[in-house]
This record gives sequence, structure tokens and C-alpha cells, in this order.
Amino acid sequence: MRNCYLGVDIGSISTKGVIIDEENNIITSCYIWTEGNPVKAVRNLIRNIKEEIPEDCVIKGIGTTGSARKLIGLMLKANIVKNEITAHAVGTLTFYPNVRTILEIGGQDSKIILIRNGIITNYAMNTLCAAGTGSFLSSQAKRLGLDVNEFGKYALKSKNPVKIAARCTVFAESDLVHKAQVGYPKEDIVAGLCKSIVLNYLNNVGKGKKIEAPIIFQGGVSKNEGVVKYFKEVLNEDIIVDKNSHLMGAIGIAVLARKNKVGKTYSLELSNVKFDTKAMECTRCSNNCELLKIYRNNELVDSWGSKCGKY
Amino acid sequence: MDKVGIPRGIFYYYYGDIWKSFFDYLKIPYIISPSTNKEIMLLGTKYSNDEMCLALKTYLGHVSYLEDKCDYILVPRIDNFGLDNQTCTNFLSAYDIVQNTFNIKTLNYNIDLEKHETLKRGLIKIGKILNKKHSELVKAYKYAMKKYKEKRESEIMLNFNKLNSSKVKILLISHPYNTYDDLIGKDIIKYLEKNDVEIIFSDKLDENLTNKLSERISKDLYFKYSKDNIGALELTKGKINGVIFLSAFPCGPDSLVNELAMRKINLPYINLVLDDNSSFTGTETRLESFVDMLKGDIHE
Repeated sequence: MRNCYLGVDIGSISTKGVIIDEENNIITSCYIWTEGNPVKAVRNLIRNIKEEIPEDCVIKGIGTTGSARKLIGLMLKANIVKNEITAHAVGTLTFYPNVRTILEIGGQDSKIILIRNGIITNYAMNTLCAAGTGSFLSSQAKRLGLDVNEFGKYALKSKNPVKIAARCTVFAESDLVHKAQVGYPKEDIVAGLCKSIVLNYLNNVGKGKKIEAPIIFQGGVSKNEGVVKYFKEVLNEDIIVDKNSHLMGAIGIAVLARKNKVGKTYSLELSNVKFDTKAMECTRCSNNCELLKIYRNNELVDSWGSKCGKY
Repeated sequence: MDKVGIPRGIFYYYYGDIWKSFFDYLKIPYIISPSTNKEIMLLGTKYSNDEMCLALKTYLGHVSYLEDKCDYILVPRIDNFGLDNQTCTNFLSAYDIVQNTFNIKTLNYNIDLEKHETLKRGLIKIGKILNKKHSELVKAYKYAMKKYKEKRESEIMLNFNKLNSSKVKILLISHPYNTYDDLIGKDIIKYLEKNDVEIIFSDKLDENLTNKLSERISKDLYFKYSKDNIGALELTKGKINGVIFLSAFPCGPDSLVNELAMRKINLPYINLVLDDNSSFTGTETRLESFVDMLKGDIHE
């Protein structure tokens, strides 16, 4: 029998799952779109993982991270629920103990983590605005009639990226429309977009931070060759993109699940687990809190959003 | 007798205690709007335009709540506290905005130290409108200031002593009308306290010290409250583990002064900019990871 640990990273755009063993080897992994329904996405994810997992593996720990971590943590009865900054740093440090800077661009968040001597010393995250993140890229890809997966390759064709306003997504989009309407070639526009992501990131998230090599770039957007190219160009440093760069959060939380194991064995059978959420507005006082009640097999397991703590 | 309405927003967090003691001494009835709740926030959104910051929006909500519950609304106009100590334009304009938006009489006074218009003169002016005698008003002013100073000094002492705590210490750089508002800062403070963090409040330090100390960060600043805030960085230097900058969207002075401070300090920090989005999730992620990092737990 082999002891294994499951890490699930439920982001706004994609849901990632990974199974590791005691030595942090990846046994199997899965990457699917969240499509606005984290519960359904995780059901699909677990089904895929269950099919691929070798028979001698037993799950000894489950961790969840990403923006839906609390909800899915309840659903899977995870033994650890942690924010994505911590998870990303732990995941990266597992494979690259010498890393000094982690750049991360996900679907809705982007962050920079500075590490000195293996310890996180500083980090920054975008403000609540999602400018310059994956969701912006994918909506623009749709607008240009391109698949987001081929977006990066398309950008590499360009020799002359157009200038696109980088500060705000709304301005960037109107800039893009104008450039397209006056007749710029598509690859130059795509390349300009990739470059604007880099400039936006360095201005908004990376401001005032000392970016020192080795630099690792991860998160979904790190799979975009165009963005990687312009990071190299602008920072004038080598950028490492791991083949599992999109899974680092899930790996990190799996490692944390291993470190925090409680000695329980977990089942991946979810088909008989009923999981519902009900939203309501509390009318007991003038705060009118938006309450969310979570039911697992018709049993109330948690409720969120109450300011007074009565629920 | 005429009843005075005090909106629980912006000015209240600087002058509320003084006003209360002043009116108590003179036996003038007053009503304070309740803590900001959803109803007040919605009223505020209704009466404000797109350029106003979250704090001013909620302020207008408080005024609207009080509109039919009192005879006067107390809205001061605060211009400056001497050379290079101006306030944000909202502090100057709130009075005119309230007068033009609502159908109610206002009690108004100016604070403009460059023109020798002091708090004392201001309070005496509104006292006279409410038919009180000059000698009585001077006594009431002295009483209110004495009580205020006592409370303020003990608050400063308590806050400053937290710097000796053995817990993780975070300096919260924020204006009091954001920090202590139920819908803006309360959840953040609750979260930090629950996670065993010692919070040092930038507004509860001696402003005579912090105002002067801000010159070490920049000599060119002229916003009084922002200077007080970032001077706290110098006053607590070497004694804190991290800094949280909290501001309401869109804040003019903060977007200049806090940004400047962020580039000059050599400490971990996060910048939280809040608008009336009701979900705490995004803020919680940032707080949780920040506290995780400062405590260093994950490296064990």
C-alpha cells in the first residue's frame, strides 16, 4: 500500500487536482475548467482522478486552495484549507529550493512572491480589480476568434507588437478594438496584448519589488509563450516555467496536506454525497447579511456571511 | 428644543466625542445615526455621484437617515490645520454637498487655522445659533476638551504599549472613518484579532509626533491626515512586523501618500482598497496569506 495525498486548487477559471506520494512524486494530475460551478468541476475532477489512480494508493490527506477553497474543503472534508499564496510558495519551494522570485498570473488574481533563503519575505497581490489576468486574456482571445491555448504561439509570429494601454482592462480593450479596426495584423495585436499583460503586472503588482533571479513564472498564464517571451525581454533575466507550472498551487496544498495529516483515510467516492448550497438574505437586523448555507447530505455543515455570528 | 443630528461618518470619528460632551454639558438634545448598515449604504449610493469615495458615500447615507429625525444636521467644513496641513477636498465640500442635496437646515462651522478659525470659535458659533450664552459655551468647550484629551491620552497609551507585545504586530495605516466603520474596517479588524495579531492603529498615536516624523518619508506632503498616518511608520520603526494600508476607493490623498510610503519602507505590506463590494472573500485571502507569512508557520 502506498500513502498518497490529494491537493485541489479551485480557481476562478480552472480547477486543478494532483495526487502525490510521500516523496512528493506526482502520481496523477488533472486540469479542467471551473465554468462558474466549483462543486460540479470538483465532482468531474475527482471522477477523472479516480480512474487514473493506481489501485494500491490510499489517500491519507486532502488539501484545498484557491478562491473556492472553503466550500470545496467542506465538500471533501479536507484536513487543510489554505490560501493560494501559501500553497504556491510551498509547491514551488518543494521543487526549486533556491528560487528567489515567483511570478504568478492566474484567472483572476496575480501575485508576486519574494523568497530569500527559502522563506517568504514579501509578496504582493493585485487589488480586487482583475486587470491583466487570465480572464482578460481569454475574453480577448474570444473576441479575436482565437482559442486561448494557441494565443501564445500566435503572438510569437509577430515582429512588431502594437502598443496597448496596460493600466486598465477597459482601456486596453478599447485600444485593442481601435487597433483592429484601423487594420493592424492580428498577430501584432495578440503580441501587443501579451506585452501589455507583462507591463501591467510589473506596474501594478511588481512595483517597488526587487525581482531577483532565479525567477519562476507560474499560474495558467505561464502556459502562454507570448507572455513568457515578453517577461524575459522586459526583465532581461531568464524565466523558468516548470512543466507543471499550472499545478503548483495544487502540489503545494498536497504537500501541506501531507505535513498536516491526521492519520485518517479518505475515500474519493463522491457520487453518493449530496452537496447543496442555499443563499438567503437575513432580515433579523438592518445589516441584511447575505447568508450562504452549506448542506452535505442534507445536513447543515456550515453557514457563512453573518456579521453577528448568530448563524 | 431643537434637536441636532450627528451623522456617524467622516467627521464623527475625529470630533464625535467632543461634540457629545459639548452638547451634554449644554443639555442640547442630539441624535447620532446608527453604525453603517446596508440600508444606510444604499441610501448613500442613491445620493452620491460616481466620483465620491466610499466614506463620503456612506456619510451621505447617514445624513439621509437623519433627515427627518432632527432639526439641524451638524456638518463642519475643515480646510486646514495651518501651513502644509490641509485636508482632503471632501472635508471642505461635505457641507455644500449636504446643503444642496438634502432639504434640512445645517449647523456649520469652519476650521481654517490659516485664517484663525479654530474649533473653539466654531463650537461657540453653533452654540449661539442654538440660543446659548457665550459664557456657558466657553465652559462647555473647556469641559468637552478636557474629557476628550483624557480619553485620547489613554487610547494613545494603550495603543503605543501594544508595541511591546510578543505577538505578531501589524501597523494598520488607515483613516479612522474607514477603520471603525462597520461596513469598511470592522471585518478586517475582527479577522486579525481572531488570528492573534496585535494591531497598532495609525490614528491612535500622538499626531504631534507623527505629523513631524512624516518628513522623514517626504518633506513635500501637505495632507494633514495622511502625514499623521505615515508618520506612524517612523514612530513604530523596528517594532512592527508588517503594515496594512487600508483605504476607501477612490481616495485622492491615499493614492498619492500611501503609494509613496510603500515604495520607501522596507517591510512586508499589503494594500487593501475597498469599495462597497459585499464579499469578504478576496480580502480574506489577502489577510490570511499576509498573516501566514508574518507568522512563518508554513515553513515548519
